[in-house]
Amino acid sequence: MTGAPIIEGRGLTRSFAMPAGAVTALGDVDIRVDAHDYVAITGPSGCGKSTLLHILGCVDQPTAGSLVFEGRDVSTLKESDRSRIRLTRIGFVFQRFFLLPMLTAWENIELPQAEAGAAKPARRDRTRELLDYVGLAGRRDHRPSQLSGGEMQRVAIARALANRPALLLADEPTGELDEETGAQIASLFDRVHGDGTAIVVVTHNPAVAARAGRHLAMKSGRVITS
Amino acid sequence: MRILPPRLPVRTVYPIIEAVPAVNRARASAFAAAFVIALAVPAAMAPTAPDLPPMLISRQLAEQEHLHAGDTVTLAQDPRGTRARQFRVAGTYEPTPDPMRFTARRIEARMHLPDLMAIAADPADPAASESLSAINLRLKHPEDAVRFGSALNARAPGLVVRPTVRARDGSDPFAVLERFHVAVATVTVLGSTAFLLALMVMRAEERRETIGIIRLIGISQRSILLEVLVEGMLIAVAGALFGIVLAVATQGLVNHFFQWRYDTALVFVRVTRVIALQSIAVSVPLGILAGLAGSWALLRRDVLALVGR
Amino acid sequence: MTAWGLAWRTIARSPARSVLAVAGVTVIGALLFNMLLLSRGLLVSFRDLLDNAGYDIRVIAAQGSMAHRPPIADATSLAEAIARLPEVESIAMVRTDLGQVSAPGVNAAWTPIELIGMTDSKGGGWTIVKGSPLPTGPSAGEPPVVVNTTLASMLHLEPGSRLRLRLTSAGSASALPLVTVRVIGVGGFAFEASGDLNVATTMAGFAVAHGTPADRQAEMVLVASRPGAAAPALAAIARLRPDVRVLSNDQVMAQFNENAFSYFRQISAVLSSMTLAFAFLLIATLLTMSVNQRLGEVAALRALGFPRRRIAANLLWESALLVGIGGTAAIPVGGVLAIILDRILRQMPGVPARLHFFVFEPRTVVLHAALLALTGAVAALYPIWLATRLPIAATLRREILS
Repeated sequence: MTGAPIIEGRGLTRSFAMPAGAVTALGDVDIRVDAHDYVAITGPSGCGKSTLLHILGCVDQPTAGSLVFEGRDVSTLKESDRSRIRLTRIGFVFQRFFLLPMLTAWENIELPQAEAGAAKPARRDRTRELLDYVGLAGRRDHRPSQLSGGEMQRVAIARALANRPALLLADEPTGELDEETGAQIASLFDRVHGDGTAIVVVTHNPAVAARAGRHLAMKSGRVITS
Repeated sequence: MRILPPRLPVRTVYPIIEAVPAVNRARASAFAAAFVIALAVPAAMAPTAPDLPPMLISRQLAEQEHLHAGDTVTLAQDPRGTRARQFRVAGTYEPTPDPMRFTARRIEARMHLPDLMAIAADPADPAASESLSAINLRLKHPEDAVRFGSALNARAPGLVVRPTVRARDGSDPFAVLERFHVAVATVTVLGSTAFLLALMVMRAEERRETIGIIRLIGISQRSILLEVLVEGMLIAVAGALFGIVLAVATQGLVNHFFQWRYDTALVFVRVTRVIALQSIAVSVPLGILAGLAGSWALLRRDVLALVGR
Repeated sequence: MTAWGLAWRTIARSPARSVLAVAGVTVIGALLFNMLLLSRGLLVSFRDLLDNAGYDIRVIAAQGSMAHRPPIADATSLAEAIARLPEVESIAMVRTDLGQVSAPGVNAAWTPIELIGMTDSKGGGWTIVKGSPLPTGPSAGEPPVVVNTTLASMLHLEPGSRLRLRLTSAGSASALPLVTVRVIGVGGFAFEASGDLNVATTMAGFAVAHGTPADRQAEMVLVASRPGAAAPALAAIARLRPDVRVLSNDQVMAQFNENAFSYFRQISAVLSSMTLAFAFLLIATLLTMSVNQRLGEVAALRALGFPRRRIAANLLWESALLVGIGGTAAIPVGGVLAIILDRILRQMPGVPARLHFFVFEPRTVVLHAALLALTGAVAALYPIWLATRLPIAATLRREILS
């Protein structure tokens, strides 16, 4: 590991209050992601993988521990600042794609750029570039309902890369896809990583996990191997 | 039944002391003040209270002039004191609410007719003591009022004989207001039907996948339709009953507010059994139909399309 | 993509739902528009009638009111004194009584009418449609009368027809002379109700019918002040005779507003409030259900970095579009509804045929728009709160598991 990390978490703990008693989804986890890292987080269902990813993505806040993103202590930031980080510095890819159904592929990718304040010509160029990048230039005007699962995920990846984030977080990106399509997505991640974006992926898919440079195995809310 | 001189407004049947029609509150107060010239005339100068002719005053007059039963008041025809006479306040009464003049402050009094004549009749006019504004009749057979009125009208031209029951030709103000309210209610029902349909369409969309799965596993369209119908009926009945309860509660609030505002005992809103039943009769079928209509388009769609394949 | 652009796409995504929601807002908005028209319609219409009559001050006996007018003592002297005031342009004396007419040769029973005597034949609210107005100076022969169109139609009267007239004064037993009058015109009286039967004549003609040719009585003096001199004229007349009431058109309006129009003002207020509450409930319910159906999308947008204010702006625009489109369509629909409701209410007995309950004013459109906009904004508050406060991670997890 060289240089300052993009994100570093120490003693990350996340508990949820339940009627039957508190549940600790994440217990005292340390993690560090540098630029150019490709980290795969694996483990059985309910081991806290997604919880860890949500904390890294500033979507959730730890109950205890510290999280520093590009030198800034996330716990001291306001929600609007965390939103800004998610918009411009982190890209998120979800298992269920979560594309806006009423927008075309082009518009879904353009949306975060507009929100980040990019000028229209810049947005146009970047969106065209990303559609080419994911191989969907010919489907730019299609809505999600007109795309296959793999195509939707590729649009989602393009959307996540729209504002040139430093870190791409993916939560089970191939969970809804067949093996072959999953392999295509895994190859795309390789390309993204090769182009300089750090990736943290939560996955059950061995093909995806195999391509990562680092592995974190989790069980019962803790990292067992790293 | 009322017998009136021809085409006089009904208001003139009231005794002179009452507020003149369409007089505003300030004027009513002025009238009352003008008529009631002196209170509690010194005992040494006046007949004793029990000897004085009695009169009843409205609650509003009593409150305004701080009068009580037993007080002695002087009434006259005009502010100058013409034909002034003393009366004993025998008690107060709540004026019968009159929806045609619910905004008027009921500054009024009642007395025996000869006592009123003694004040109001001009002694120089020999016919004055024989003149009345109106005669009220109570028939032995009230159901004959309309027929009796027509017969009396024919025998006494120049008079207006009018039954107090509402005219059947729909021309009386309340019939017109009823039509107005029905029109407004119809528009409200139309608007709420549109919204209800929108909500039912949304609800059906929410359950698109569930319905698709149910149909995939072999449940027939008919069974699902029956379920939708029963569900719609339960929701519609519950909604209608809730609506009635809300209407009754609102009725109380509206009546309390306007009775306070206008100092009247008039009931402005009343949810009767008939109205409640009419509301249920309209809302329940509408609710059921809206539920069916919202689900119908969904049930007609292809099963695979429902589950998103 | 702008917030309103995204909102438009969200609405257009479910056309059936959106069309129904807009239809609902249109109908409820039309009702609201009507109630706002009703709140001032009578006032505006009555004001028009008063102003078009040509007089801006009315003088009546102190003990009376506009609805019940006892005779003014020495009315002719009063009228002459008022006419000499520099602030006054013209005056007219008015008296009314009940009577009956019969058309000779027509097999009709005596028809009850209201006889109006006026010194001014030019205005006073009469519009001649056939024949000529009442003469200004003295006329020889039979007293001239103008009858209203309803009476003319009923008794087949034309200019030149003759009528037998007898007054039937209320409250007194007397035998007034039978007078033959000559119809010189047919017209409409601004304040006549449909079904009213009115006959107008000169004051001289009235006095003849009353059997008292030298009578100087009147129950009302109408005064037209010079431009800009209404207030001074009012004060000057009040100084002339303290025993009369001097009312400007504004004061007449205030009196009718307080008494006769009060019911409609109240019902307008009650129904407007209920309509707004109804619209609020329904828009809030629609938007809340819509948000609940899209929690995953909202959580994803928040996870992608969209701030709360952007989510709130989207929802506010959704509400604004629903209410805006529906509210705009509500104006023409409300206009049609107003015609229907006006027709119903004008069937009320005693209402002048030219009086309208619903009168269009531009300010009503502005008020309507403002109220609907406010309602739409307030209705969006709870769904906005839902969407902006949702726990992102928990929502994403729930959406994936469901």
